[in-house]
Amino acid sequence: MTIKLNIIELPKSDYQGKPSSLCPGCGHDQISTVIINAAWENGIPPERIAKMSGIGCSSKTPAYFLGKSHGFNTLHGRMPSVTTGACMANKELCFIGVSGDGDTASIGMGQFVHAIRRNLNMVYIIENNGVYGLTKGQYSATVEKGSRKRKAEENRQNPIDLCAMAINLGCSFVARSFSGSKKQLTALIKAAMSHRGIAVIDVISPCVTFANNDEFFRSYGYVKDNETELHSPDYIPHHTPVEEVDIPAGEYQDIELFDGATLRLETVGNEYDPSDAMAALAAIHKAEIDKMHVTGLLYFDAEQRTLDEELSLSDTPLVDLSDDELRPDEQALADLLAEFRS
Amino acid sequence: MERIVNDFTINIATANGTGSQSANLILLQTMFEMGVPVSGKNLFPSNISGLPTWYIVRVSDAGYQAPGDRTHIQVLMNKDSWVGDLEKLEQGTVVIYNSDVKLPVERDDLILYPVPMTRIARGLNPKLARMIANIVYVGVLAEVLGLDEAKLEAALAKQFGGKQKAIELNLEAVQLGRQFVVDELEVSDPYVVEERERDPDAFLIEGNEAVALGSIFGGIGLLSWYPITPASSVAEELIDHLPKLRVDADGKTTCAVIQAEDELAAAGMVVGAGWAGIRAMSCTSGPGISLMSEFIGLSYFAEVPAVFWDINRVGPSTGLPTRTQQGDLTLVYYAGQGDTQHIVLIPGTVEECFEYAWRAFDYAERYQTTVFGFGDLDLGMNRWVCKGFDYPDAMDRGKVIRSQEALEAIPEYGRYRDVDGDGIAYRTLPGSGLEPILYRGTGHDEDGVYSENPEIYAANMQRLARKIEGARDQLPAPVLREEEELEVGIIFYGSMENTIQEIDDILEETGLKVSQCRVRALPLHSHVEEFVNRHETVIVLEINRDGQMYGILRTELPIELVPKVHSVSFSDGIPPRARVYAERIMEVLEEVHE
Repeated sequence: MTIKLNIIELPKSDYQGKPSSLCPGCGHDQISTVIINAAWENGIPPERIAKMSGIGCSSKTPAYFLGKSHGFNTLHGRMPSVTTGACMANKELCFIGVSGDGDTASIGMGQFVHAIRRNLNMVYIIENNGVYGLTKGQYSATVEKGSRKRKAEENRQNPIDLCAMAINLGCSFVARSFSGSKKQLTALIKAAMSHRGIAVIDVISPCVTFANNDEFFRSYGYVKDNETELHSPDYIPHHTPVEEVDIPAGEYQDIELFDGATLRLETVGNEYDPSDAMAALAAIHKAEIDKMHVTGLLYFDAEQRTLDEELSLSDTPLVDLSDDELRPDEQALADLLAEFRS
Repeated sequence: MERIVNDFTINIATANGTGSQSANLILLQTMFEMGVPVSGKNLFPSNISGLPTWYIVRVSDAGYQAPGDRTHIQVLMNKDSWVGDLEKLEQGTVVIYNSDVKLPVERDDLILYPVPMTRIARGLNPKLARMIANIVYVGVLAEVLGLDEAKLEAALAKQFGGKQKAIELNLEAVQLGRQFVVDELEVSDPYVVEERERDPDAFLIEGNEAVALGSIFGGIGLLSWYPITPASSVAEELIDHLPKLRVDADGKTTCAVIQAEDELAAAGMVVGAGWAGIRAMSCTSGPGISLMSEFIGLSYFAEVPAVFWDINRVGPSTGLPTRTQQGDLTLVYYAGQGDTQHIVLIPGTVEECFEYAWRAFDYAERYQTTVFGFGDLDLGMNRWVCKGFDYPDAMDRGKVIRSQEALEAIPEYGRYRDVDGDGIAYRTLPGSGLEPILYRGTGHDEDGVYSENPEIYAANMQRLARKIEGARDQLPAPVLREEEELEVGIIFYGSMENTIQEIDDILEETGLKVSQCRVRALPLHSHVEEFVNRHETVIVLEINRDGQMYGILRTELPIELVPKVHSVSFSDGIPPRARVYAERIMEVLEEVHE
């Protein structure tokens, strides 16, 4: 038996991590599997990936995927700032950030919005289950009004919709998905890895222990019955010529990504244009009114400059510069002192 | 009347936001160019415009740089502080005042020089009269004190950065001020400035600019910061100097600067950049350190190099944002939850600000931890005489493994395994593919894997303590100036350097000879303990209420030495005045001898 290798001739085992210690059936583990598949199938060398997280159940998962990549399980709500610093040091790495709804929508809201505002070149995955798992199931700020977890009062506060917020902030890639929709999630995560700029993917990921009852809008049962797909996404990698791929029977739209890959969005029901921010916000609002979850690529804009481009960082990643390139020479100091003395 | 040459203090009372800082700096620069030992202190409010501000110029052939005990020449420009300023003046003080303010000066024991400064300024340019009036007092002072005309012109041109129109207008204002003194006033005070030999190598610079330059020459790759008084000018000076000093052949920068959303993020970016292998720093003040503490603890425990400059202002809380203090010393030394301890570099001069700024990166990378630069508003935001900066030593990048061969040369590599007994483990960088781990702020074993094992936790914490302990004598040693008597030793640090000689001289006038020990880093160098050991009585002098360095000494010195150590600590926001501290030292010594 030969082991299947990816385009850079690595087996999938090179992309796997340690065994998960999350609850059996946790949505987060499904997302970890998708991340492993996406990175392997995209043929990204593991050492070129940096996996970043904050604190919480979701933030533990970088231990469970990409064991040959460096990673940093940082502080609660602070994954974006650490990623920002690391990205400035080595802008050629593919940064995959994993966060949760508590980590992003509450304690880390400030860093989340500012990472978007700067268009930091990273994939930002929110594993969004509506509850704080590690502290035993308190509601988070993304939980829908009227949603009720097991043995609890229903939530009466308005939810924070992270996708709507990201779109309003001008985020260059905004998607929503479901940990149970493996095909859609894989295509979106692959596309996010091929995107240059911040790609926010809000993934509904049920908490099987504290909130998987049907009255909870983020339970498996509820999401399965109440998901509206904007389109059916299909990822065509840069090494597969798009003209050699079979053309779908129905309508579709191709989105060209930074690394030459294509995200093909096959129309399901109504046509949807992901370059239209107003349409994206309308779709999110309509879903909220209908107590539905709208999934797919909500918004895309390839034109924005990333933080490292805005700062005009040297072409060589800063970490690869020699000491001499980082330090002005003795003459520079002498000239400076002469100027001060004049 | 006997002339008093180069030994007096000028206090200039103006309103914030009226351009008086420019006027004051011209005055300072002129005297400096005349070779006169001079220092300036800006006592400014937390306000954009309107509130009272004072500038204190100390002219002293003895080289004293503290604000001085009394004012000899008072300039009054501000109606709001007018009455209070007048009340404080001692008999015989010269008062140069703007007579257009139309407030009474009802004291006949002062030497009064009324000058219609607003009217003179209006005559030149009615729109800019408020600003120009400040330049008029420069002219008046120049004439009264005998300042060199050409040097004043040069200082003015420097201040206005070659803007010809501004220079001409302001020069005219200076001339009118001078002329008014000649024509209208009978100068009857004893104060004179006399030219001295000017050190051609010396120049004036703020501590914060020196820190910025030291960082640039230290190879900084990322500055992330959040605006805060009195640390912002570190970042702003760095931003100003980068285009000339840190641009590559393609015209692109080799240092990222990010104005963060808050100090939490600023610290996070530093830790992220340090983790990924570049030299990163943030500059802030006490309120920022409070927020950064979570990341400082992470840097300590995950062992990530990070540099933070605390330009100390007055706490607690928002405190007095524009005043100076050494109140954050224990905050920075122990920042973060749990058992933590950080390396703190404490410059006392602008030369050391530059040096410690580049050294901080060496220490941070060598010890893979947070290193603080600890300055204060006085040193950071006032201009000090500088003799120049020495070019840094070759960079010490610490134990970083950059190749497979280097990795294989290390027996039993583990990210947190101490293979050679110094408490410092080797590390690899993201992107290298060498022995990757998931860094974490949670408990971890020698390979960096999550662990709650009691023995592993305890051993790791002991290693961390050993690592920092090992830094002790590698850090800058204290500066010792010892008397033969070895009776009384004074331990002090930071910007107290600029007052200590005057304190020493006041004590010596009473027959008391004291040795000096200026601490320049934490944890304390072993020379500090030896200094304490050699002296009969030791006094720890500092600019805070509680005697924070004194507390650290009590904790770290052998217990038998503790009884001879005493504290003199005082803080009111104003840079330390020599007599205040000298008197307290004498009180403590009296108590000790009783």
